[in-house]
Amino acid sequence: MSELGAMRDQWYPVAMTKQLTAQGRDTLLMGAPIRVFADDGGTPKVTDGAGRALPVIDRFGHVWTSLGQPEKDLFTIPEVDQPGRRLVDVGVCRVRCSPLRAVENFLDIAHFPFVHTDILGSEPHTEVERYEVEIRDDVDEVWATKVKFFQPQAAKSAEGGITTDYMYRVCAPTCSVLYKTCPPKPEEWDVIALFVQPLTETLCDVWPYMALYDDDAEMTDLIHFQQMIFVQDRSVLENQLPALLPLDPGREIPTRADMTSIAYRRWLKRHGFTYGAQLVAA
Amino acid sequence: MIESDAPVTLDDSGDTVPTDWTPAALSDDIPAASAAPGQLGAHDLAIWRSASGRIAAWADRCPHRGMRLSHGFVRGERLSCIYHGWGYGEGGRCVRIPAHPELAPPEAIRVPVFSAAEASGVIWVAEDAPDSPPPEFPGLAAFRSLQVAAAPEAVAAALGGTGTVIEATLAGLSVVALIQPLRDGAAGLHLLAPEDSDPAALDALSAAVEALRRRVEAAEEAAA
Repeated sequence: MSELGAMRDQWYPVAMTKQLTAQGRDTLLMGAPIRVFADDGGTPKVTDGAGRALPVIDRFGHVWTSLGQPEKDLFTIPEVDQPGRRLVDVGVCRVRCSPLRAVENFLDIAHFPFVHTDILGSEPHTEVERYEVEIRDDVDEVWATKVKFFQPQAAKSAEGGITTDYMYRVCAPTCSVLYKTCPPKPEEWDVIALFVQPLTETLCDVWPYMALYDDDAEMTDLIHFQQMIFVQDRSVLENQLPALLPLDPGREIPTRADMTSIAYRRWLKRHGFTYGAQLVAA
Repeated sequence: MIESDAPVTLDDSGDTVPTDWTPAALSDDIPAASAAPGQLGAHDLAIWRSASGRIAAWADRCPHRGMRLSHGFVRGERLSCIYHGWGYGEGGRCVRIPAHPELAPPEAIRVPVFSAAEASGVIWVAEDAPDSPPPEFPGLAAFRSLQVAAAPEAVAAALGGTGTVIEATLAGLSVVALIQPLRDGAAGLHLLAPEDSDPAALDALSAAVEALRRRVEAAEEAAA
């Protein structure tokens, strides 16, 4: 098994709570076989290959666990508790890529016109204006703010093209939350999260999760929209070389549009979050 | 000095002569303004044809975020990465970064370039620049390519020959088979058939070469 490093003591999503059964779900967490199931009282439980109980948190519609001993509670998303939001468990999408590459792609806007053509972006509106990125030491999170991008159809609820404002937040090595312009409610942000379960260093289950102000759309349409976006991302994610995310400079060439990705890689390296990463430029 | 595994071809008298080129695809399989994946030894290639018809073989990796360029798109004389649209032109040099339209991309952003040339409807590739062009096969035309899950030597032997360029008779036609070593013990088989073959003869040739592939793969599997 690969060296888990500091990522061993982090929380990871391993199932959707409402899909849990007594029989459970056999899956992998960083190469280790685990079982996620509901006990007699309906409470989520996770056991490792030896049948030992692992720590469990039931939050954001998903079951979270850890192979180690997390020092910190799982992050929070305060907006999720605001009244009137629709909470959407999108489901699972399996991707043959590094869990870290899946998160990095989620942080990237420059690919919208080329991968999500005529939905999240379109030529010639390809420019990424300068935005702000910081590693917030108090919460130990990567934040990108003042991100703007022109989108033909930013959300299921959007009609026609708009310039969408974004904020991005990396709150765990394999989890990110984005905040974006909410077309029906301009004073609020729509919240879309990407929870990534690292099965191995080059295979992951991605669990998108949304907290939206959208009273009109059918739940299945909301889910299909997000799944369509992620299937488009998958065609890229499964074709990047090397499969592991290079943390040392030199192997890949970033530009100013990649400031969030640069900060994410730096933050991973600083913490020793290297499961799914490549440290020495090969 | 020729390495023992260097591809060889036939001269006019039927003797083998060395070529530094490796057959990688058929010209017809990569039409104008398209790209496809290829291999040259350990290298993954993006083989692509510009709108004006120029063939090129580059490393199959965008220097920005490692995306395979063979998934990219061709506009005019440029190959662009499908991930962020970075455009590459002459010599593999990056000429456009759509996220920063006003920026002139630094010279250093380049995709490694391989040699590529076409002869008798076959695309040949090489790591360096070979002294001579790839071989022509007068009277023959590229017919089709197959991948075989068997060692190149086994494919050559099934065709009754050795090496890279094999003259054989299949389904009553005098053909030339070009054998390309692929990774994971596989082989590419690029077949040339007489130019004036009628469609029924070519159908029979297709069936014959597919049967040959099944036979070689079954033998390889039995031996494993």
